[in-house]
Amino acid sequence: MNQNHANPCQPRAALRVAAAAVIALGLCQSVQAQVPGRFYWKSLSGGSAVPLIFESVSGNTNPFDSSHRVSAGAEFDATMAMAGYAQTFSLFDRSAMAAVILPMGRLSGEATKVVNGASVASAQQSASGFGDPMLEFDINLIGPKAQKTIPDAVRYEPGFSLDVLADLALPIGEYDSKQALNLGQNRWYGRIGAPMVMQIGSWVPGRRTTFELLPSAWIFGDNTNYVGQTLKTDPLFQLDAHLTRDFNETLWGSLDASWYNGGKATINGVAGDKRNDIAYGLTIGMQINPNTSLTFGYKSTANDSGTNDMRLDSFMITLISGWHPIIEGSRRLKGE
Amino acid sequence: MKKRTSLTVIAATLATLFAASAPAQTPAKRPNIVILLGDDLGFSDTGAFGSEIKTPNIDALASDGVRFTNFYTHATSSPTRSMLLTGVDNHLNGLGNMDEYTAPNQMGVPGYEGYLSKQVATLPQLLKGAGYHTYMVGKWHLGKAPDLIPAARGFERDFTLLDGAASYWDMTNFTAVAPKSVFTEDGRYLTELPKDYYATKTYTDKLINFIDANRGDGKPFFAYVAHQAPHDPFHLPKEWRNRHVGEYDQGWDAVRQARLKRQIEMGIMPAGTQLSERMWFLPDPTVLAPAARAIQGKKMELYAGMVENLDHHIGRLVQHLKDIGEYENTIFVTFGDNGAEGTDLFKMIAGSPGSRDYLFAATAWSQTHPNAWGDPGSYVGYGPMWAQVSMTPFSQYKGWMAEGGIRNGLIVSGPPVKRAKGSINNGLMHVADIMPTMLELAGASYPEKLDGKTLPPLTGKSWSKVLANQAESPRTEQDYLGWEIFGNHAIRQGEWKIRWQHKSFGKGDWELFNVVKDPAERKDLAASNPDKLKSMLALWDRYAKDNNVILPNRTMFETLEDQLPPRVPDDAGYPPLIYKKQFLPPKDMLAEPKP
Repeated sequence: MNQNHANPCQPRAALRVAAAAVIALGLCQSVQAQVPGRFYWKSLSGGSAVPLIFESVSGNTNPFDSSHRVSAGAEFDATMAMAGYAQTFSLFDRSAMAAVILPMGRLSGEATKVVNGASVASAQQSASGFGDPMLEFDINLIGPKAQKTIPDAVRYEPGFSLDVLADLALPIGEYDSKQALNLGQNRWYGRIGAPMVMQIGSWVPGRRTTFELLPSAWIFGDNTNYVGQTLKTDPLFQLDAHLTRDFNETLWGSLDASWYNGGKATINGVAGDKRNDIAYGLTIGMQINPNTSLTFGYKSTANDSGTNDMRLDSFMITLISGWHPIIEGSRRLKGE
Repeated sequence: MKKRTSLTVIAATLATLFAASAPAQTPAKRPNIVILLGDDLGFSDTGAFGSEIKTPNIDALASDGVRFTNFYTHATSSPTRSMLLTGVDNHLNGLGNMDEYTAPNQMGVPGYEGYLSKQVATLPQLLKGAGYHTYMVGKWHLGKAPDLIPAARGFERDFTLLDGAASYWDMTNFTAVAPKSVFTEDGRYLTELPKDYYATKTYTDKLINFIDANRGDGKPFFAYVAHQAPHDPFHLPKEWRNRHVGEYDQGWDAVRQARLKRQIEMGIMPAGTQLSERMWFLPDPTVLAPAARAIQGKKMELYAGMVENLDHHIGRLVQHLKDIGEYENTIFVTFGDNGAEGTDLFKMIAGSPGSRDYLFAATAWSQTHPNAWGDPGSYVGYGPMWAQVSMTPFSQYKGWMAEGGIRNGLIVSGPPVKRAKGSINNGLMHVADIMPTMLELAGASYPEKLDGKTLPPLTGKSWSKVLANQAESPRTEQDYLGWEIFGNHAIRQGEWKIRWQHKSFGKGDWELFNVVKDPAERKDLAASNPDKLKSMLALWDRYAKDNNVILPNRTMFETLEDQLPPRVPDDAGYPPLIYKKQFLPPKDMLAEPKP
């Protein structure tokens, strides 16, 4: 019964929670449109984040163009970096986020030229520069209201959250119509999705567990100058799943899976095969400090031993820095 | 008119004759007795005493019975419990000081054993001898050795936490040298707890089983339901944690004001009652940032959940007694054991970095995230600000002799209560009164000797006439009450109270209050009323002598003055600087700067 009355109202815990919430803003929109788990966790409105994403991909098709055909025996390698900016805000009392991502990098591989549905030649090609920038808008429909204040952030638990998201890629990335392998796609495309987060158990750092799903549909415009031909691509259904779990307050991991179905490409009226592939992976995430988080992930396609099976594997590293004016100001006042 | 009067007289006469002859034909069934004790439950924490916390089951007992607004406990747990169970002053029954804080000059002195002395008789012991079944569930805090546990002190069945506090979920206790809570069941020390253990629920389940096991043998029962709730840590099932989200962000002052307003409307406190000072080291919550208010508010949300969960399980017990037809024949006595807890116990328990207790806390009690509050391994209390709310409108809290430390809300219902249902009484009551009251109502008596030992005289006075609406108080204007713990001491007689408290909660000197006119103890009248002070001091001397009070030469408060900021008045709105809002000039005088 010592009288421990000093500073009984220090908001340290609140600031700590809120600071962590700001960094929960994960943003790493891959051109291939696969994001790590915890991407759609909500954070304090008015927060900002800059993601830096490094991705190394290897396989037998161009991973950045879903219309690209599998080439038997071909090898593709890509080294990509992506930088972006995201802002969280409140819209109709719901959590919302707007972001822009700009891919850049280089890729190389054996591209097959297709004429009237037949492969007529293959050649080693490469591309580098900037890809198609992508705009993303996400708004929560079911789940906790927007975190407009620090108390909201302190009290945030996702429970079951359902968002709707819209992506739109702007066809201004580098594109060479003379070759099949490009960073830009020379067409409009985008997707509609419904990210879901299901909280399992307590929402306590060190013990958080979630099951997350992201069903989405990609819709592609036509590329009227695809090596001198017209490329049409059917809608592509994508389902991402993540089972994420904290190991401790700063380290988490997830089991990842993705399934793509559809996206049949038609070149000058000659239809190819639709995609139907599954990939599995692992991600490790780490909170380096209240402003910075890091993830490291690996993913590989399953059932890819056949000659014409899609085969891809990728390493992805994301480094995300986030901030919020209130949190930063409070930290300055405390001299941290 | 005359004829009607005659009929009334005849009817009354017949009723009297019938009533008088009834016992001769069928002996009156003796009432069951249920003591419902909340640990650190504050005066104003139930709806019946003005709280916004939802306690429908406790409120129903109040509606069916009578509430007492001048009921006194002791300032801390084990002294109160010792007097409840013995009717003897704590300085004579072994709890002259809490076991945890026995001072060097009190060591080895009879009355200061730190456990319930074997020189005193207990209520269950005497009721058992009078033919009652005697059950206990919950917290004991009166000794752990085999000859001191409930089974050795008169309880026929028990499921008991012997410690003063513990986890509600498991056997985790607080310090490196005593890391494990000690439980007994029917006199045996438990090696593990039942599956699905949660203290408040399990205690209730066990008691219901005890009652059912002996149903039908015609014997009444005495049940001592010494709930651990709502003592910190605020451990609470998830479904009870979020019933008041954001409601307490308004801060402690607003909640205190709202409670006092309801208390005045309900008649718990008289019109014109003031709130006590906000403790001088606490901020005005309105000047705090929303984050700070949210975190502090969440603590009170949890506390409210603790009280509501407690009320829920009390409701389960009451409903069970109704289901088995025993409710109408049961006396319920409901109150909190002392003032609400304003001290940060966990800081004290965890020690400082580098200590063994700190290491223990790091492994067993480190779930500090607000979302973990309520889980096993979390430790959250609610601090002095909310303790003051729990004790509205009184001053200070547990451990102190201010009204906020020793005054509690008492509810009594059941067969002996002949007062109007739901009524309020202001008689001067004391926890030591329970022993003589229940002995009388059970048809038992307090012997001069027990097992060859002369028993100390009872301190308390029976409430039977008050309950029967034949008196307004068990005490005359000359009777007085006395307290001492940790060196803080006090006397109340009639409207007057003197108290001596360590600085800075007190002055290190005597203070005099008229607690009827000034229940918040805002105005010290010692200087202006020396005669009254002198006469009250004489009572203190008498109390100390009669009860062998030895003021401790060491206490937990001995360095308190150095730890706290200097005590200053709590003048509302001072300093104006922090309340002055943005000046808004008249719109018609606004202008852009000239080029």
